[in-house]
Amino acid sequence: MSSADAAEPVPALATHQLTAGYGDVPVVRGVDLTVGEGQLVAVVGPNGAGKSTLLKAILGLARVMGGRGLADGRDITGRPLDQLARLGIGYVPQVDVFDPLKVSENLNMGGYLLGKADRIARMEEVLAIFPALRSKLNRYVSTMSGGERKMTAIARALMLSPRVLVLDEPTAGLSAVLTESVLADQVRALADRGHAVLLVEQKAQAALRLAHTASVLVRGQVVMSAPAAEVLASREMAEVFLGGRGRRQK
Amino acid sequence: MLVYLGTDLLAAWGLNLEFGVAGVANFAYIVLVAAGAYFYAVFTLGPPAAMGGFQQYIIGARLPVAVAVALAALICGGLGCLIGVTGLKRLRADYQAMVMLVISILATTIIGADTGLFNGNAGLSLIPNPLASVNPAHRGWYYVAVVGAVCAAGYLVLRRFTTGPFGRVLRAVREDEDAAIAVGKNVVGLRLAVQAVGGVYAGLSGALLAGFIGGWSPSAWEYVETLALLTAIIVGGLGNDAGVLLGVVIVPVLILQGVQFLPQIKSAPQLAGDLGWIILGLLTIAFVFARPQGLIPERRPRLGVPGVPAEAGALAPAVGTGPAGPAPITAVQAGAPLTRAVPGDGGRAPILSVDGLVKRYGGVRAVDGASFTAVAGGITGLIGPNGAGKSTVLGLVSGFVRPDAGRITFDGRDVAALPAHRRARFGIIRTFQLPREFRALTTIENLLVAAPGQRGESAAGMAAGRWLWRRDEDELAEAARGLLRLFGMADTADKRAGRLSGGQKRMLEVMRALMAGPRLLLLDEPMAGLAPALAERLEAACRQLADAGMSILLVEHELGVVERLCETVVVMAQGKVISTGPMAELRTRKEVQDAYVVG
Amino acid sequence: MSVFIEAVGFGIAAGAVIALGAVGFTVQFGISNVLNITYGALMTLAAYLGYALLSVGVAVWTALAVAAAGIALASAGLNRLLIAPLRRRGTGFVGVVIVTVAAGIIIQYCIVAIAGPDTVSYGQQAGSTVRAAGLVLTTSQLIIIGLTVAAMLALHLLLTRTQLGRAMRATSANPVVARSCGIRTERIIDVTWLISGALCGAAGVALAITTVTFDFTLGPIFLIYMIAAAVLGGIGQPYGAMLGGLVVGVGTQVAAAYTSPAYQDVYAFGLLILMLLIRPRGLLAAGTASARRLAG
Repeated sequence: MSSADAAEPVPALATHQLTAGYGDVPVVRGVDLTVGEGQLVAVVGPNGAGKSTLLKAILGLARVMGGRGLADGRDITGRPLDQLARLGIGYVPQVDVFDPLKVSENLNMGGYLLGKADRIARMEEVLAIFPALRSKLNRYVSTMSGGERKMTAIARALMLSPRVLVLDEPTAGLSAVLTESVLADQVRALADRGHAVLLVEQKAQAALRLAHTASVLVRGQVVMSAPAAEVLASREMAEVFLGGRGRRQK
Repeated sequence: MLVYLGTDLLAAWGLNLEFGVAGVANFAYIVLVAAGAYFYAVFTLGPPAAMGGFQQYIIGARLPVAVAVALAALICGGLGCLIGVTGLKRLRADYQAMVMLVISILATTIIGADTGLFNGNAGLSLIPNPLASVNPAHRGWYYVAVVGAVCAAGYLVLRRFTTGPFGRVLRAVREDEDAAIAVGKNVVGLRLAVQAVGGVYAGLSGALLAGFIGGWSPSAWEYVETLALLTAIIVGGLGNDAGVLLGVVIVPVLILQGVQFLPQIKSAPQLAGDLGWIILGLLTIAFVFARPQGLIPERRPRLGVPGVPAEAGALAPAVGTGPAGPAPITAVQAGAPLTRAVPGDGGRAPILSVDGLVKRYGGVRAVDGASFTAVAGGITGLIGPNGAGKSTVLGLVSGFVRPDAGRITFDGRDVAALPAHRRARFGIIRTFQLPREFRALTTIENLLVAAPGQRGESAAGMAAGRWLWRRDEDELAEAARGLLRLFGMADTADKRAGRLSGGQKRMLEVMRALMAGPRLLLLDEPMAGLAPALAERLEAACRQLADAGMSILLVEHELGVVERLCETVVVMAQGKVISTGPMAELRTRKEVQDAYVVG
Repeated sequence: MSVFIEAVGFGIAAGAVIALGAVGFTVQFGISNVLNITYGALMTLAAYLGYALLSVGVAVWTALAVAAAGIALASAGLNRLLIAPLRRRGTGFVGVVIVTVAAGIIIQYCIVAIAGPDTVSYGQQAGSTVRAAGLVLTTSQLIIIGLTVAAMLALHLLLTRTQLGRAMRATSANPVVARSCGIRTERIIDVTWLISGALCGAAGVALAITTVTFDFTLGPIFLIYMIAAAVLGGIGQPYGAMLGGLVVGVGTQVAAAYTSPAYQDVYAFGLLILMLLIRPRGLLAAGTASARRLAG
């Protein structure tokens, strides 16, 4: 763990030696992560490394076999998702919207826990962040493009003003141009506004260019944890993704 | 009451074959029993006019009793197939159950409404007793003897279906249809066979029942009667013939008949019967909750060699380095399953060539004009980032996914139009990314079921019985044990596959594919989630297989493995083949780096 | 022609009852993903509850309201006590269906044990008839049609205008995201069963009013009509079920008018089986999310 992380007194989100999986098979083993406020932390790694499982373990959707998840120092291991929402943790999974609902209804549901006045006020704030959505409030999400859907999903997650946002491959299925814009204009912007953002991303380079710190996950374990620029520049990156010598120790 | 026990038992056995063993929730089963009763009646009764003309029905052939019973049973077998066809549509399981339930209610309504077929709601009466020539005073006991004899015979025949290789393959289909298809099983044919046999048992049960009662009407076979049989099976033990006997004694006999002996309340004589049904409903719910496997759960035979030392397990040295390494594979090779792996020409001609393959899902082109070849007797790698279409290609080659365009040539033959199980029989065997083991079967049974061309699964095997397939079975078991040793899983042979660890399930997935006699093995990310020791063992096994002449198409994310194993690697991105060559060379190509790291 | 018009009139009345029940059934399935065969037995229970209330002198429409409330509670209880625990255990679809069939049989035979197996009748006077555009309808039929329209409207407003209704649709569309919004999906499912139970109860009494006599098999047979309507409209889709109810009601009445009333059930069932085999996703559905769940 880098010294920059240690400087944060109580991280908004952290895992401590988290081991989790499905059934009795651990998919991720002994993962330590810290995400501070205003920080974008990317988890990258080859397919099947356990990135999504790591997120699900934090969010109580996979079976935790060891270790803990912490939000603001509070133990959140195995808590159901609706409680996490109350604790200020937002989640944008890969399947991320309510298709048969309108955009306005998606946002409305995002603010389910708010009173009516707060909800309306908050929706205005969120629409100020995503002005493109304003003209589409009455569209059903099922009729929208991939980029618009992702925008709706992130806007929906922002409705509760979460301190922590967890994003599972927000660019999956998007074109290269859209990927750049979603990551820069939406994901990084979240961190710039002060949210603690944990991003799992398949498209490593794009994610690393924008993240503050990054953890590289291989076969369920963190093999490298460093400022994103360092990870991006490191010779090992290409190797991690394209394989090579001696990575698999006896 | 013993007659009821016998006829219920026949029906429950038939339903158990369908539901317990083969996994078809036939909520319309009672319709088949009813059909047996009706057809027995109209075959034995004389023409309506000659019988006093007070009831209307078809046929009225006045056939001999034995002929009538046989015909009724056969017709029910046919009807069973017909009902089974509805189950072949790939509806969700509860939808199938609903369709069956609707068929059941529909049948009661049609028969009840129509007066021309079986005399409508009034039902048929004066149905001849099969033992009409016997002195009425002793007839009851004679009837019990007849039903008992039929049950005994029925049991012996049933054993041929529910045990041995045939019962095994049925259970495999129940546990996972796709996995059964992947090893070349004709799931449709098996389902229909089961429905036919189940129908025959229902028909026999109905015919004997009608002959005994002498009358038959729609009120005797409302859909709730199927639940009585289902409850009997659930209580006794799904998939266990002896358990079903116990279940039938408890449920239809003790509960539904037994309540008649409770003290009667004069004002409400039907109360006892109602109570029976209420108890039955409660019992069903209780068992689904507390003991879904029933009183006597399904048993599986022990086929592993007893006393296999534990050191043969996970801690054994990796294959290929230890002294026992290369030896087992030749031993397995000598057995039945792997002999087909040696290519006839021994050349390096492609065994598989794929040309312009296209698969669209909605508007997305998952595979967009992919063309490549896989060499005979070697390992070809297929790699690419998430969503590149690798798994879809595997599905297309194995026949689980229908291509929108393109040719798939295997060993000089165009296989693109063949169903998956036929391709598997040609030797195209796939594994699944997420292991799809037959959970309720033991590990070794998972392997045995995959072996192709088993005589014990054929009609002849069933007719002839054990002596025909016993030797084959022993040889197969030996081969399977060899494979288990090779993969260091000998000690798990008799464990239910559902209880294996995730890594072991992955190994089992590969072993099962090997048992199916592949000429081209399609491995879908076999290393994902495997502990390093197991991954190494699997890697070594792949190498040995390739050295022995097996052709393998390997989809794998672990590129180190791909580099070590594959001479040629095909790289896909966004549905297209973007590069082909040895891994070391690919790594330096820009298009490959872009596809991977940029995404 | 007059036969046709008359049959259409009866069909609309019958369709209203079917739609009332079918909407409850389909909403329940769409949101909780359970094929609940007990629904038919609960409908019978409602009919008998109405009968009991009538026999102690309660007015028929009050009885309908009370029965609806009672069945709503029974339905929610059923979910809490039986279905939710099974869901938590991961019991398979068939296991759940078997349990709902068993629960239905328990209810059905409890009714017989208490009320007896004989047919009963509400003994309502048909009341004055109303003629409009060639249709002849009794006042009761008109009230039931009005009730159905009102219920549909209320449901529509609930689903589109209230937080609860939106949360129900959200839970149906994407339970994981719904939970991540802080929605307690288990509670939403409870409420869904409560609402569908109320519709079931109302439909049960309405059915008893429109049929001359009935016995304890009322519900299970009628369940098939409701399933037919739900499937026709694309199961899980309330508006589809409304339309489906009307189609099934009018279709079977018209067909029966030209052949024999005895075959009325047969037409409904035949139509249903045909639909399940040919277009299990319903007439309207073009691959919506809830319909896709049926595949595989």
